[in-house]
Amino acid sequence: MRRRTFVKAAAASLPSFGTLSAARAQSKEIRMIESGGLSGESIQVGYIDPLKAKTGINVVRESPSSLGKLRALVESGQGGTTLFELGSGIVLQAKKLGLIEKLDWAAINPAPMFPEAKNEYGFGYQYFSTIMAWRKGAKEPQNFVEFFDTKAFPGKRTLPDYPHYCLPFALQAAGVPIDKLFPLDVDLAFKKLNEIKKDVAVWWKAGAQPPQLMKDNEVQYAICWSGRVVGDPAFGLSFAGGKADLSYIAIVKGSKPEDKVAANKLYYEMSLAENQAKAAQVISYTGPSPDLDALLPKDKLWQYPTSKQNKAIQYFENAEWWAENGEAVNKKWEAFKLNL
Amino acid sequence: MRGQGFAFIAPLLVLMVVAFNLPIIYMLGLAFWDKGRGFTLEHYEGLLDAPVYLRVLGNTLRISLIATIANVAIGYPLAHWMRGLSQRARLIAIALVVLPFWVSILVRTYAWIVVLGNGGLVNRSLQWLGLTDAPVQFLYNELGVTIGMANVLLPFLVLPLFATMIRIDDRLLQAAASLGAPPRTIFWKVYFPLTLPALAAGTLLVFILCLGFYVTPAVLGGGRVPMISNLLDTLINQIPRWEQASAISTILLIVALVIFAGYRRLDRKAST
Repeated sequence: MRRRTFVKAAAASLPSFGTLSAARAQSKEIRMIESGGLSGESIQVGYIDPLKAKTGINVVRESPSSLGKLRALVESGQGGTTLFELGSGIVLQAKKLGLIEKLDWAAINPAPMFPEAKNEYGFGYQYFSTIMAWRKGAKEPQNFVEFFDTKAFPGKRTLPDYPHYCLPFALQAAGVPIDKLFPLDVDLAFKKLNEIKKDVAVWWKAGAQPPQLMKDNEVQYAICWSGRVVGDPAFGLSFAGGKADLSYIAIVKGSKPEDKVAANKLYYEMSLAENQAKAAQVISYTGPSPDLDALLPKDKLWQYPTSKQNKAIQYFENAEWWAENGEAVNKKWEAFKLNL
Repeated sequence: MRGQGFAFIAPLLVLMVVAFNLPIIYMLGLAFWDKGRGFTLEHYEGLLDAPVYLRVLGNTLRISLIATIANVAIGYPLAHWMRGLSQRARLIAIALVVLPFWVSILVRTYAWIVVLGNGGLVNRSLQWLGLTDAPVQFLYNELGVTIGMANVLLPFLVLPLFATMIRIDDRLLQAAASLGAPPRTIFWKVYFPLTLPALAAGTLLVFILCLGFYVTPAVLGGGRVPMISNLLDTLINQIPRWEQASAISTILLIVALVIFAGYRRLDRKAST
């Protein structure tokens, strides 16, 4: 399978070598590394399929995407992958490490987008939320003070095994309001986490874990990605105090010009509200178009990260703070994990 | 004659050096070379400044030791029991021990979730029998990781041990008995010393394999059992600080090599 796609890709790129000088040379097939799962499928249905129908350009997807993989791609001399999905904090880091290229927004010529999605180095394509959820039948918490109150709300928890998710929620549990979270009071957050760690059964790494753990009744409460739990009758959930974040797709440093031309066409498709609506049908995450809400089904607005009633009660990830403090916090996190 | 033999293995040697040894040397070298600045020891100094990484290594050694002891406690009696079986029963027993080898480690590890989970076979049986009221927490802690690791590694201990045990001449044991030694004395004075080299070699092999375990702690540890492979995954894939990962890997490699040197010595004793 892999070899066949490689041969196909090679065959597709051969003729374009001859036309390199032509101004509008473009590849017929480019490669993308994205985060996988339903999210990857939503890219296929929402953006790649329409692109293929209109232009004949195909995008081959691979997953998962990690910063280490991107570094390996670039340092080994570009393996032919053009597009790479990165979290909001990671875009800054990748830019510092010189692993991604500036986008040519004039060439992309996108439909109207929210300003934060139009990053110099990345196309913010998907809003997603990290929220509290619980197994149906468990006592329902209203906020993170209650979520972390294991006496009044008994049951095991599962939390992400990533400090940039856990710390702000722990601060909320300590009474910090969502508009005062940053700069993070790291010591206070760890103090709170130390209080509740004995009730955390699992620190999860993969987004598929928390819903499964709740279904198996291994845990009753979870902090997890909204798209994994909304619409499933087995779970209750609340966006209150949740984290809204934006995933970006960037261009790998050293990509071929003709691949970049094709990538810009995909970016254009990603900016269209009607395509974002198709993607939102696959997974309950939303695109960056201000016109999107009108195209989404009214009865499902409550499950999207950016619909009005949800956006107002969440906080937004502060990528700059993490880019500066991430490494120091990571070491503290490892030390915290040793004392579980 | 000797030269000819070398010609035959030369292609394999080249493959090993180019595809395996060179990348490893490159990875280990990453910790010493900084782009543009040349030789540096700062990544090793970083390890001393942040002892948390070394503590994870210590934790890995400790859990590996526990898993190895568990392995010996199960594996030795098992191999001994297999020795006493009839030819036919032995074959079946060996097949049962080796069977897990043919199943992917991922599948085997996930199977423990079905068996040991809160709603799993063991917990439901315990509650049905009235032995416990609430589910016993087998998983997502060191116990779960130890069980999973012992399960995966059992054949590595049992097979060499069993091979040594069936070679022990029954007449030695009969001679001891005829001289009036009680069974306990026969075991400790005759039988056990004969199996000791194989036991020691198998134990070290299991211990070294434990050090590099990744899947089992990731799945059964619930993020609560930090081990060095999982830390390296974070450092390589997420952060990505390959230089730091390289320094830790070097230390891990040295620890494994020292243990391996011990293994070689014992193995040579076992086979003579």
